[in-house]
Order: sequence, then C-alpha cells, then structure tokens
Amino acid sequence: MKQIVKLKINGAAEETAVHTHHTLLEVLRDEFKLFGAREGCGIGMCGACTVLMDGKPISSCLLLAPLAEGKEIVTIEGLGAPGKLHPIQQAFIDHNAFQCSYCTPGFILTTKTLLEENPTPTPEQVRAYLAGNLCRCGSYVKIQEAVLDAAARLRRAEASNERRETGNDPET
Amino acid sequence: MLDAHQRVTGCVPYTDNVELPGMLHGRIGRSPHAHARILHIDASAAERMAGVAAVLTRDDFTPERGYSGRYGRIFQDQSVVASDKVRFVGDPVAAVAAINEERAEEALSLIKIEYEELPAVFDEQEALRPGAPLVHHPRPAQQPAFRALIQDLPGGSNVCSHFKLRRGDIEAGFRQSDFVFEDVFRSPAAQHVPLEPHVTVAQFLEGKLTLWTSTQMPHAVRSQMAELLRLPLSHVRVIVPSLGGGFGSKGSLRLEPIASFLALKAGRPVKIVLRREEEFVTVCKHPATIRVKTGVRKDGTLVARQVTAHFNTGAYSDVGPVVARNGGSAMSGPYRIPHVWIDSYAVWTNLVPAGALRGFGVPQAVWAYESQMDMIAERLGLDPLEFRRKNLLRDDDSFATGEKLADMHFDALLEHAAASVQWSSEDARWLEKYPRNGRSGSLRRGKGLALVIKATITPSMSVAAIKLNEDGSLNLLTSSVECGQGAKTVLAQITAAAMQVPVERVSVSDPDTDLTPYDQQTSSSRTTFSMGGAVTRAADDLKLQILNHAAELLELSVADLILEDGRVAVRGTPARSLSYGEIAMRANQGNLIGRGAFSTRGGLDLETGQGVGSVHWHQGAIGCEVEVDLETGKVRVLQLNPCVFAGKVVNPRLCQLQLEGSAVFGLGQALFEAMVYDDRGQLMNTNLSDYNIPSFQDIAERINPFALEHVSGGEIHGVGETLLPPVMAAIGNAVYNAVGARVRDLPLTPEKILRALREAPCSSPGSAGTPRKA
Repeated sequence: MKQIVKLKINGAAEETAVHTHHTLLEVLRDEFKLFGAREGCGIGMCGACTVLMDGKPISSCLLLAPLAEGKEIVTIEGLGAPGKLHPIQQAFIDHNAFQCSYCTPGFILTTKTLLEENPTPTPEQVRAYLAGNLCRCGSYVKIQEAVLDAAARLRRAEASNERRETGNDPET
Repeated sequence: MLDAHQRVTGCVPYTDNVELPGMLHGRIGRSPHAHARILHIDASAAERMAGVAAVLTRDDFTPERGYSGRYGRIFQDQSVVASDKVRFVGDPVAAVAAINEERAEEALSLIKIEYEELPAVFDEQEALRPGAPLVHHPRPAQQPAFRALIQDLPGGSNVCSHFKLRRGDIEAGFRQSDFVFEDVFRSPAAQHVPLEPHVTVAQFLEGKLTLWTSTQMPHAVRSQMAELLRLPLSHVRVIVPSLGGGFGSKGSLRLEPIASFLALKAGRPVKIVLRREEEFVTVCKHPATIRVKTGVRKDGTLVARQVTAHFNTGAYSDVGPVVARNGGSAMSGPYRIPHVWIDSYAVWTNLVPAGALRGFGVPQAVWAYESQMDMIAERLGLDPLEFRRKNLLRDDDSFATGEKLADMHFDALLEHAAASVQWSSEDARWLEKYPRNGRSGSLRRGKGLALVIKATITPSMSVAAIKLNEDGSLNLLTSSVECGQGAKTVLAQITAAAMQVPVERVSVSDPDTDLTPYDQQTSSSRTTFSMGGAVTRAADDLKLQILNHAAELLELSVADLILEDGRVAVRGTPARSLSYGEIAMRANQGNLIGRGAFSTRGGLDLETGQGVGSVHWHQGAIGCEVEVDLETGKVRVLQLNPCVFAGKVVNPRLCQLQLEGSAVFGLGQALFEAMVYDDRGQLMNTNLSDYNIPSFQDIAERINPFALEHVSGGEIHGVGETLLPPVMAAIGNAVYNAVGARVRDLPLTPEKILRALREAPCSSPGSAGTPRKA
C-alpha cells in the first residue's frame, strides 16, 4: 500500500508516494538518491543511517516513512557540499577523523545537534552523546578531537557574529 | 586523506551506490540445519512467480549444464548453492533474483526443500574424536597453487590441514628445563562487522562478466570466477569501489558466485546486499583452542615450547589452513626459544566458515603465549617486564622458522610500552599487593604488557603502472583496495615523491582488473610496503623513459640531464628545460606508461616449518592499564598504548589511525565480542544489539599510539594489523595484575572475571601452570 507523504528534505518541499512499510532510510536512498545515510545494522544500533528530523538525530532505518509526514529532514548532503563545507565537516577533515567513512555522516549530524544543545561539551559529554554512533575502524580518538575543535570553531564564529551585530567587531 | 571531502559529505561511491538499467535484486535462501542431507528441492512455485527472473538451486550445477559450482581458495569444498548437503545453519541453499528484495524473499519462501538431518559437530576438539560426524567426505580436491604451502592429508577425518614446525630437540629441551608449564587458552568466533556489508553487482554482456564488488582481492575474485564460469581471465572484469571497512572479511569469494550465476540465468544485472544477520553467517574469526607447554630455567631463560593449536575453520575451509599456519608459526613469539615443536591444525566443523580477520591467526596465538608469559613470570617470582626482556629476539638471532633475524626492535618497543604505563618494579610485586589500591571501595587498578611478532604474507607480488598525461599529470593505476586505511593517499604520496610532482597532480585509480595491473591482495599489512615498492619501480621506469625521450629531443645524452620539479633540465643550464607533458607530446608518444613489479620470496618446508616465513617481521607492543570492579567484574580500560616498529612512516596521521583502530578493535575482542551458538549450531547473536562492538563509551580513556622509525632510510613496514593481536593478552594481564583473576577463555566478561576471582581468590597464586621439577 502506498501513501502520499509531504515533507521537507534538505530545505526543499517534497511530496512522494511511499510504501507504508518502507522506512525513511529506504525512501531517502531509493527515491531521492541520497546515499549519505546508510544501513549498517537495520535495528538502530550503529547510527550509520542517522539523519536530522526537526533538528534531532534519528535512526532513519527505524522510522516508517509515513511518520515523516510534515517533518523537516536534513541529511549529510544538506549540511554542506564539497567546496562549501560546514565547520563540523571541515574539523573532521582537519583531524582526519574517519577511515572508511561509512559512519561519518552519522557522526557529523549527531555532532551538529550536540553542539546546538551544548556549545561547550567536555570530552566525557562528547563520548556520551556520540555513543549511539559506532565507528568500526576505531577512529574515536580523532573524532573526539574533531568535535571539540568544531565546538571551538562554532563558538568563535558565533562570537564574531555577535560582535558584528553589536558593532563591537574590532575587525570592522 | 586526499579523498577527504567525499568522506565528510556522504559522497563516497561505495558498491551499494551502483545502479544499472534493468537491475534485479537477489536474496539468498539458507539452511535451517547445521548438518543435513538435501533430499529434494522443488522451486517450481518460485519460478512461476511474477517479478521473479531467476531461481538458483543445485539443479543449475549438473555435468550437462557444464558448471561444477565448486570453488574454494585452498580446497574446493564450497558450492555456489548447496549440492548434496548443507553444513551449517546459514549455508546458502537457493537464491532468487527478482524485481525487488521483497519479491525475491517471497519467492524463496515458496521453495520446498526436504532435508534429512545428520549428526553435527561444533567443537574443534570433538571434531577430531574417532567417530565424529564427517563434515566433508570424501576429502575435497586441493587447489594446485597451494600444494607447496599446505600439505594434503588422507581423507576420513575433519582435519583440514596440519602445519608442523620442528626446531631443535623438544624432548631434550624439556629435560634441560627447571620448570614446565602447560596451559590451554581459547578464543571464540568473532565478527568483523564492517559497517558496509558485503555487496556485489554482477552483469553479463556478450559473454563477459563485470562485477562491482566489495572485495579486498580483485584478482583472486577474477581468477576464481573465471574458473567457475570457464571463461578466460580477459572476460571477467572486477571493479572495486571504496570499501566501508573489510578487516579480512572481504577476502575470498562471497556473493560473487551467486550474483553472477543469477545474472547469467536472468540475462539481467543482479545486485545482492547482505543484511547484518547474514554477515554473521558468512565469515568470522577462527575459534581456537591452543595448548602451550613451555620449559624454562629457574633464572627465567626460555628453553622449549610445544604447541598444539586447533583452529576451527567451520563448514568450509576458505583460507583456514593458511590462518592455522600463520598462527601456528607465530607461537614462539618474539622470544629466543631453542627447542620448538608446533602442530597447528585447521579443523572442519558445522559452524559458520571462518576466514581471515585482522591479524590472521596471530591474535589467537598471542592471547595464548603472552598470557602464559605473565603466568610463568609470576610462578618464577620475576617481573614480567624483566622476564620478557631476558628472552627477547634481537638482531642475528634465529626465529623458530630458522631464518636469521635483522632489524629487530623489541627492546625499544617493550621499554616504550612499559614506560607508557609507568611500569615499575612495584607493579611486578604479584600477590602480596592484593587488594591493590584503587580509587575507591571495590575498584582495583592493574597494568599489563604484551608483545607480538607477525609475518607479512610471503611470497607476495604487486604490480603498478603510472600513466603520464599530456599535461604532465599522473594517473597511478593500481589494484590496491581503498578500505579506509588511506591506500590511495599513501600511494599518491609515494608516486608524487618519486616523480617530483605535487601530490595534487596525481590521481589514484580504483581497482579494475581490465585496466589496473595485478596485485595479490589488499591484506596482511602489505599495501604500503609491497604496492609502494611497485609504485617506486614504476616511477623509476617512467623517469628513465622521460629522460631518454628528453635526451633525443634536446640532442643530448641522458648524463647531461637532471630531473627535478616535474621537469627535465640541462645540467648546468637550468633555464633549458622541458616539462614532462611537453616531452610526452613532442616525442609523439601521447602517453608514457611506467611499469613496476615488486615481489618477495620465501616459504616454509611442509615437514619442518623451516624456511623464510616473512620477508620482514612486524613487531609491536602494548602497554595497558585497567580498573576492575571486584563486585561486578566490570573492566574499564584506562589506557591502551599501541607501539609499533614502522621502519619509515609515509603518513603519520594515517599510521596513528591504524594503531588506534587496532587498539579499539582488539578491545572489543578482549572484553565482549564473541559469537554465541546454541547446542544445535544456531548462532544466537546475529545483530548489533546482542553482539556489541566498541562504542565511544567502551574505548580506553587514553590511547597513545607510538610508531618507531629508523632515523633515516628505513624500509616501510605495514601497520594495519600488528597491534590488534597483543591487545587481548595485555588487557588480560592487566586484569590479573589488578585483581588476581586469570581468564584463559576470551572474552574477559564480568561473569568470567567473577568466576575466576572465586576460583583463585586474591590470597592464592592464580596460575594454572603445573610447575614440575624436571
């Protein structure tokens, strides 16, 4: 059985007919050809299928597609692209925080929400928040470095935005 | 990494991204029995189903059809789909290609299969008892290529292979020993769990097969598929996109035979993607039982070691005989032992087939010998650091294989590992110290050390080609597989340095057996060393061609020219120069192609295990500190410090990632990873909820990798696997050091630690070694 679902994917309003038993992950990959979310375990344990739904990380392999009705979905493709990377993506590159990279989109998207909720996480908080994303290559040390560095970068960017808004930016 | 942008934007083109016009989806029907004869298969209802394009059963592999359907790297013991018998729960018995996976699964459910259940055997030692059910009978044919490597044996038993190593006089050795210790250590089956599952897309066009497949061995897949399909190698093309991890699982043939025969039968391309639960029944780490008997003098000098190792290779041998050989030949460890006697067997059982897993038999070996080293040290009242130091292999010593060793660095590695955890003689005071001081009530801290010596595959061969383009940029054509280890980055760096061009002017190919030269495999920590060597030689060949053409164009001799910064200049007149691209075009060559081959020689005698086991030896050490909760048995790893001899590091970041990754991977196998079977051979934990791999919350609080290099001009040593094997023993030794609980059976679960605490309370010695006066 199919059902029409209206949702936003990476900022664009979409309307698509989905099988009611298909997951959001299947729809993103099969219908929209967004291959950045991947099935690693199929039961929500590994985090390779992580996408943001209304700003929060979810396992898209566990969400039946009709339940995404009216939701705003962001995949790794919507965060940044080669040439205009998000600061978190740049931090992952600068710290070489990946090996095979199957897990990387999930880590980056979860990090985005972490840093929105907590712009100054401790290493322990990073580990706890990212515990639902598994990296079998074991790049955790460098992922932690990248996340902490991304936090610092985002704080600096935020501070310089505020200075510009208040006219106190010494660079202007 | 050079391909970093695609890695953070979700754009890595893995095999699962491949989609072809008319492509079908395949699913595999699997045996519910551990051992059963197939009486009857009726697939007619499945074949009639709408949307089903092909059904594959044993009926497709008859002499009249011309395909045997039999394959196997070493023994031809595997079938594309089961023929006479099924041999483990999960054995492929039928397959369907349909318009989508759901339809294919529906069709599978309509295939009627009648089985006659047979007695099954699961334990590697029970399988050797007289009267044990025979997994393969008659004995499968051995592949000729492995005759020099693996002894063929008489039929009528479950012994798949027997590796022997004989050095010195073992009986005399034990007579010369003051004490003899005998212990048994076990490792369970464990999973690779690459996050990317196995994926294969197969397409037949005009009698030629093209495969896009997640393999670490493009050329081995090509030759085996050509044999199965009775095609020339030219008519099997294997393309390997980037892998989402392999760790040895993506070695031998996996999905390629079923996908190819489905595609052949359907006349349309077929894709198969394994589900996670299917990964668990496709290949795993060998369960192993290793008995170690070590003779030692009172002063701590090792004299003799006898080993009987049984590697449970499951229902199909895959590379099991080589794993048993590699693990067996490593059992003397990085120590001088004059008298060594090793028998290492691969044994067929009715479990999931075991194959290569990061470390290739050596993790099981190190778990045994490094655990026992600490047990012996304690019984002799020695500091385990000092005990190891006393027996280390050094330059000009002979290994158990008889080969003379050079470039040995165990002294430096051991000292570094010990210093990394501030090991002191205090730490060696064994029993009087319990309970040791911890942070609070029930928490106790302890430190552990472990060493590893490991072969890299020998003999081995790699070939590379470098194509010079009209603008002077370079394409490196290589069959090395990018698994996330950074093969492309490192090989681009080596190419750029050899050709004296910026690394941005080099592009590295994916493996494509139609276009890229031969490479044995991406495994055994060999790519940077072996393919790197081939690339260097290809660059030498290309530079010579460039110089010869330049000399002709400039009407000078080669001796008058120098090659620098991507140009050829006239010696003494640097302004007179030609770029690489200009040379290629003006010499009317279009492209120039340099080619280089790198190979190593060696091998071990089948009766004595003497010869050359490795072109050079990988060396490593782990220093580890843990905290154990006496009440719960829970282990927290505080530090895990992998130290490796790398010779020369090409890319420090990637080297660190390999060391950190090995430490994390080993931590999982040390503390919780084990495949659990019920008494009928049904695997109980085929998902990532019941089978855990290390998460951010499990890893060591501190991981400090260290790579030892030559001051200058060292030979490259691969670092992909070396540091996984010693992790388990280092953690096991640290747990004992903390609370006096000696576990001999991996993993070190809280239950086992509590049981060991009860059996060997802190007040009494914990070693089960039976010291006896000789």
